[in-house]
Amino acid sequence: MRRRRIGALELYVGAMFIVMFFPLVVLVLFSFVKSGDMRFPITGFTLSWYREVFSDSSVLDGILNSLEVGIFAGLIVTCIVTPAVLLLSRGRLRWAGGVAAVLIAPAALPGIVIGVSLLNLFGDLRMTLSLVTVTVGHVIYCIPFFYLILNARLKNFDRHLEEAAMDLGAGPWQRFRRLVLPLTAPAILGATMVVLALSWDEFQITFFTIGDRSTLPLVIWSRARRVIDPSVNAIGTLMIAGSLLIVLLTRRLIVESYS
Amino acid sequence: MSLAASLAAEAPARGRRRRPYALLALLPVGAVICLGFVVPLAMLVVQSFHAPHGFGLLPSSAFSVSSYTQVLSSSVYRTLALNTLEIAGFGTLLTTVMTFPVAYFIRFRLKRAQNLALLLTLVLLFAGYIVKVYTWRVILGNYGVLNSILTSLGVIHHPLGILLFSKLAVFIVVTYLSLPVAILILVGALQNADPALVESARDLGAGGVRAVVSVLVPVAMPGIVASLAYGFVAIAGDYVTPQLVGGPSGQMIGVSVYDQFVNVGNPPGGSALTLLMLLVFVVVYGLLRLLERRFDTR
Repeated sequence: MRRRRIGALELYVGAMFIVMFFPLVVLVLFSFVKSGDMRFPITGFTLSWYREVFSDSSVLDGILNSLEVGIFAGLIVTCIVTPAVLLLSRGRLRWAGGVAAVLIAPAALPGIVIGVSLLNLFGDLRMTLSLVTVTVGHVIYCIPFFYLILNARLKNFDRHLEEAAMDLGAGPWQRFRRLVLPLTAPAILGATMVVLALSWDEFQITFFTIGDRSTLPLVIWSRARRVIDPSVNAIGTLMIAGSLLIVLLTRRLIVESYS
Repeated sequence: MSLAASLAAEAPARGRRRRPYALLALLPVGAVICLGFVVPLAMLVVQSFHAPHGFGLLPSSAFSVSSYTQVLSSSVYRTLALNTLEIAGFGTLLTTVMTFPVAYFIRFRLKRAQNLALLLTLVLLFAGYIVKVYTWRVILGNYGVLNSILTSLGVIHHPLGILLFSKLAVFIVVTYLSLPVAILILVGALQNADPALVESARDLGAGGVRAVVSVLVPVAMPGIVASLAYGFVAIAGDYVTPQLVGGPSGQMIGVSVYDQFVNVGNPPGGSALTLLMLLVFVVVYGLLRLLERRFDTR
């Protein structure tokens, strides 16, 4: 029987987790502190930063824009990638590997490349930059991740179920509506939520394609350019809260792809 | 006709009928990737083979490599490129080395807590890129948390100025940003590793760390390579962190790309820089693939 010792590995991993979460804890903590400049000692607690943030129209605008882009990007990605995944993970296409490589390709490049290529494209097309162009960028960015996650989940889909349905006389649309869709809906929903989370704090592509609108990360950016702006603590905490909400909502759907 | 024969006669017909469905399923996403990713990249390539210009200057549509020669002959870009390679190279290396023990711990030492650990990593990953960079800028400042802790502990007497607006600051922040992804990739890579392998190495006399490393590193090599590749590309392309915490000595090539496109209005120059950056990525990917093949256990 192995004794549970606190060895060097445990200490190291503990230290790593502290280091990783330390900045976030500091941010959230100081969003409630009166002085707000992230210095000890703490001068007192207050909600005034939140009051200021929630009454600031540019922040609320940023939140709404982020949500709008996220929801549209999520819907678009789900609608166009799900059929491809359903086909590739259950069929036995010879060129499935090649198609997968093309779908994953945008993830192999940093956001700046996607950003400038789209900026260049929209410039040549004489398109004005707006939330629409931002959504396009987010769609391209999220396609690989949606594909990878849904594909991983659907690999375990039992083909025999579909064959049984076929033997019982179900046509392709019937099979889809009554067998495939209900069984794959949780996985699809989980992948969509991941797209939402990715879009929510995307910055590097958004920056090139947004023109004069703002999503929430850009609101933080424009304030962060000043040396210290305490309201950023509150906005940042709101961003973390949003991400946390999305992750918790899809908890079981995402993590199960590891088992 | 017997049942077997009639089924056999039906099967090839079904296969042939499936092909048009296949195209229909792939068409939307294929079109989007083509128009939104492949075509813009091709346009970048074309754009890079024009002469440099700027806002207010007329672009010339003649084929020219002067954008490339301008970039390659500039000592400023050379410094930036070396800076970027240094920060990205060491950054991804450090990230992977630092997170490997964490991934090992999560995969092999946690049972019920494993899902919680992965969930926490996901939460950290989605906590917001710009939020993290901003927070580090405050933490690293002269009056920031790090300096005030070190001062109150008596380790230093004056705030360490080098912590912020320096190459070191960029290095710290980009390494921090890559940690969650590296953990997730490495845990995924270790999933298929058999814990019995480590035990048998121990039985053969290998010490604690040596048993783990000599057995698991080859098995997890695809994941290690993926982590190194992703970290390098993500760090090298970061143009925001250098602007917020880099100061004069910590700038990276991405900032120039941004500058050329947005401030100067020189798409050929920006495209040339981008293409050169992609060339470096291809070389790095190639080297990492060689590394992976050397450790191929199959």
